[in-house]
Amino acid sequence: MNMLIFSLVLLPFAAAFLCRAVGRKNEENCAAVSTVFCALTLALSVICAFFAYGEGVKIPMLGFSFSFGGFHAVYGIVSAFMWTASALLSHQYFKGHHNKGRYNFFLLLTLGATMGVFLSADLLTTFVFFEIMSFTSYVWVVQEQTDEALAAGKTYITIAALGGMVALMGLFLLYSITGTLEIDALYEAVGAADKSAKLYVCAFCLLFGFGAKAGMFPLHIWLPKAHPVAPAPASALLSGVLTKAGVFGILVITGHILREDKIWGYTLLALAAVTMVLGAVLAVFSVNLKRTLACSSLSQIGFILTGVSMITLLGEENALAANGTFLYMINHSLVKLVLFLCAGAIYMSAHTLDLNKLRGFGRGKPFLAVIFLVGACSLAGIPGTCGYISKTLVHESIVEYAHHAGTLITAVEWLFLFSGGLTAAYMTKLFVAIFIEKGNGEGKKMKLSLASKLALAFSAVPIVILGILPHALSEKITETMLPLANGHAFHHAVEYLSWVNLKGVLISLSIGVLVYFGFIRTLLIKKKDGRKTYICPWNDKISIENLVYVPVYKAIVTALGALISFLDKLPEHLIGAGMFALSVICRAADNVTDFFALLLRKSVLRDTKEIQVHHKHRAAYAVGSVLDKLTSSEEHTHAKKFSRVMETVSHTTSRIFGNFSFALLMACLGICTILLLLIFVF
Amino acid sequence: MNEIFLLFPVLFPIAFGALSYFIPARKRSMRNAFILAVLLLSAVCVWMLAIKSPEEKLMLIQFTKQISFALSLDGAGKIFSCLAATLWPVTAIYAFEYMAHDEKTNTFYAFFTMAFGAVMGVAFASDIVTMYLFYELLTLFTIPLVMYGAEEKNIAAAKKYMLYSFGGAAFAFTAVVFLVSKDAAVFTLGGSLSLGTGEQETALLLFLFAFFGFGVKGAIFPFHGWLPAASVAPTPVTALLHAVAVVKAGVFAVIRLIYYSYGTDVLSGTWAQALAMIFAIITILYGSSKAFKQTHFKRRMAYSTVANLSYIIFAATLMTDAGLAASFVHLVFHSVIKICLFFAVGAVLHHTGKEYIRELDGIGQKMPATFAFFTVAALSLVGIPPLCGFVSKWLIAEGALSHGSPLALIGAAVLMISAFLTAMYALSVCIKAYFPDKEKATDLDGVRDAGVLMKSAMLVCALACVLLGIFSGSFIEIITKAVGI
Repeated sequence: MNMLIFSLVLLPFAAAFLCRAVGRKNEENCAAVSTVFCALTLALSVICAFFAYGEGVKIPMLGFSFSFGGFHAVYGIVSAFMWTASALLSHQYFKGHHNKGRYNFFLLLTLGATMGVFLSADLLTTFVFFEIMSFTSYVWVVQEQTDEALAAGKTYITIAALGGMVALMGLFLLYSITGTLEIDALYEAVGAADKSAKLYVCAFCLLFGFGAKAGMFPLHIWLPKAHPVAPAPASALLSGVLTKAGVFGILVITGHILREDKIWGYTLLALAAVTMVLGAVLAVFSVNLKRTLACSSLSQIGFILTGVSMITLLGEENALAANGTFLYMINHSLVKLVLFLCAGAIYMSAHTLDLNKLRGFGRGKPFLAVIFLVGACSLAGIPGTCGYISKTLVHESIVEYAHHAGTLITAVEWLFLFSGGLTAAYMTKLFVAIFIEKGNGEGKKMKLSLASKLALAFSAVPIVILGILPHALSEKITETMLPLANGHAFHHAVEYLSWVNLKGVLISLSIGVLVYFGFIRTLLIKKKDGRKTYICPWNDKISIENLVYVPVYKAIVTALGALISFLDKLPEHLIGAGMFALSVICRAADNVTDFFALLLRKSVLRDTKEIQVHHKHRAAYAVGSVLDKLTSSEEHTHAKKFSRVMETVSHTTSRIFGNFSFALLMACLGICTILLLLIFVF
Repeated sequence: MNEIFLLFPVLFPIAFGALSYFIPARKRSMRNAFILAVLLLSAVCVWMLAIKSPEEKLMLIQFTKQISFALSLDGAGKIFSCLAATLWPVTAIYAFEYMAHDEKTNTFYAFFTMAFGAVMGVAFASDIVTMYLFYELLTLFTIPLVMYGAEEKNIAAAKKYMLYSFGGAAFAFTAVVFLVSKDAAVFTLGGSLSLGTGEQETALLLFLFAFFGFGVKGAIFPFHGWLPAASVAPTPVTALLHAVAVVKAGVFAVIRLIYYSYGTDVLSGTWAQALAMIFAIITILYGSSKAFKQTHFKRRMAYSTVANLSYIIFAATLMTDAGLAASFVHLVFHSVIKICLFFAVGAVLHHTGKEYIRELDGIGQKMPATFAFFTVAALSLVGIPPLCGFVSKWLIAEGALSHGSPLALIGAAVLMISAFLTAMYALSVCIKAYFPDKEKATDLDGVRDAGVLMKSAMLVCALACVLLGIFSGSFIEIITKAVGI
């Protein structure tokens, strides 16, 4: 039965190629094929849960190892479930779109990779599938190929590549410390090795990589850009499952590498708190349906990571935190599935996601309203839903730790409640705008196919079931997941509907009401052309990406450029400098000889005084004069000529003799030197 | 097999390659068949030698007691020769289509085949003198290939190549002489150099001479200039010679020098090692950054080669068994990856004439097969698991971390930075090809995909990228066993 687990990973990969082959003939059939195979994977994962639960498998040759138990099993099933629901809707969603074959191909590839991540029993396997997942899901982001999508894709792939490389570095370090990457063996191996700074470097490298995928501050920048531009069925998966793959990695660090480590806990808590508040604030401002949901994902990841940090900080008493966090993860996955699918259903008929254009769209569409409301309530943590249970558990764990640690944690608790309030506020904003208010979206027809209806209903049901059966079902599920993060089981049953627990929600909801009426309805709605319009005073330019990362990136690229051009010219400079030095030396050497020559000319071989030519060549002059007389030339032409010729001759002779004597002198010197040398050597 | 067979893959291609020059130019198909037959025959011989390798060494000429001319086959030689023997026929097949429309291809094929013999000589050389001879021969045989086309830029590139190569070899020669004088010319794993007192510094200095001398072919900074310049040659030449054979011969020589001549005992922990590592690290960073900034498609790949060669050299300079294994694994994997990339670049160049990346918007739809192979190889180059580039990068980083010195750690970190840059420069091409900017209309009408021969050559390499990655465990085992560590 063990190979059954591996087939869970293999099946979607194989199906992807089958789907591609089918898609070549007729793209319309792709969606059907991929839906069937997603459902098959779901069925297979349920079969695994019955027959292969708790077993592991090592793949020879490939070096992968998988296990199907606890967290692995639950998230395997959740992923397959979500893929099936998303694929069901995509059939109608993509009608009239291009590149369906490509979408479904990558849908199935990513399912295989995601299965690989969640089922992996060692971090190398995790990483392998994590990278595949990152790159195949890129295609989802750029599926529409608009400018916006391409820009978002660029951010997405940059962060994914960067995160992947840093995580890989972390894995190298981890392997060099522990010598193993098997998740279950990590804790002992870390304990055996000395806990040093290297371990922290390693853990934070891994946090960088996995946090980037989870959408943790400050690496969240891709998330609000990429989730809205992807097609809605894909956004549901990006938001619901792929972020959890990042959280999975963080849970492994929490449970197996830095177990109960305070530094780790507080760092994570700080980052989580910022993410939580930032996402919620961004969501309140947003006027785009999917962008609101994307920002909400950001905030929810913050909530989940707060829970994770509480698992670390509470140590032995982390039952509340651990169960709460796991349930929160499941809840968020399901809720985002519901909400994004609703957004998809809305987009199919309204062709817009702008809240101002969508106003009143949902009036008279009770089915959609109910489904959306279930998701919204669970996200806001209304009692009766899964979201209430999970939020209460995490909240209580913070309260518990606040008893030990004091005001700082109390502040976190208030941030938690405040963000919860904002969640309620922005979900109310969405619900009111789409389903209650009257506006120009009203009256647009919506026809949902049976498959789409099924997808929506299918995804909303578990939320309610998990919400009304906290003891019988939810706790049972989360209990199996505990070992991954070193969570502990409950000592006593939790009274979910007790006053203490309800109080938190009430505070949160009242904050929500205050924000909604005091801020959204008064400050974020302006009258434009006689109509009330939602405005977004938040400028998109003000983001950490535009303010910090882009300038830093540009600076790095410029610096690299400068470095390159310096290095490029370095050899030339070196050769140039070498040539210059050589020429200086040669010149100097040259001048040494010249100097001696000059010295000799000034001393021994000094020019003798100029001899008066006219006196010396009297004979020639005389002969010339005679000739002049004979030719009766008036101007002594011949005489002058003859004496000039003689002058030249004598001058040349003297020069020849001078040079010859110099050479002779040199030769003598040379012979003397040789003789001296011979005398001394022999 | 008898050791005399070692001579066959060396001499046969050289002799028959030269002979092929005289086949009349109009009998193109006959010439092609002849070339392919020569290459395949030699390749088969190499593989058979690798499987049943001769124990003895083949002594050809014994000049003096120390200087001889001999061939033998050890693990390192096996890996390098098998790699070249596999990729050479594949490149030939690619070249048949690529060069189909060129006139006067006889020179090309003649030297192309002869270079194979020279590479085999480098692989089989049993001592550093023999290797040096074949190394110079390889330079000689490849100059006409770079010069092919005889345009001004080709000649300039060839000149540069010649200058760098011979200059480097001249430097290396000093160390060769030193090693011969120390009676350490014969390659043995672990080295056979024993130094007297006071010779340490001279030995190290000469090591650096040789390291950079052979490193010229391995394109180590600052002696890398010839490689991007030589990318003006026709693509089969660039692909094979400047991504696989010539540059790998340089790297192979460096590995021989470190592990088989000097020995790690002499070098490990010295300033010479530190200097070599520093230059390898600089080259990695330099090559990747330069590739990142390049907009010319082929030159981008050339600079990527510069960086990747230094991955191998960096692994080699770790001077541990893990480093040696990692360097061999990356040597093989990078060859397969880079040849596939160059093939794809060549296919684009051949069918569209486009040289710059900005002109490639949407080409993925026009040349689906070519870009599918390119993408596989590019992902592999980045090191996306489970493709083969990931495995070798993993081995190098693991080797560096287990080495533990600060320089090795810096090297591992630089490796990651370089991997990120690789992701940026390699994947941006894929993204452009598959997800074009709708606004930008490029004139790609009527562009056809590569032909059968080119496609099959690329398919072989892309498949190798995937399979070597998936079955890397067994492959690494084979390599470590062959090398004997």
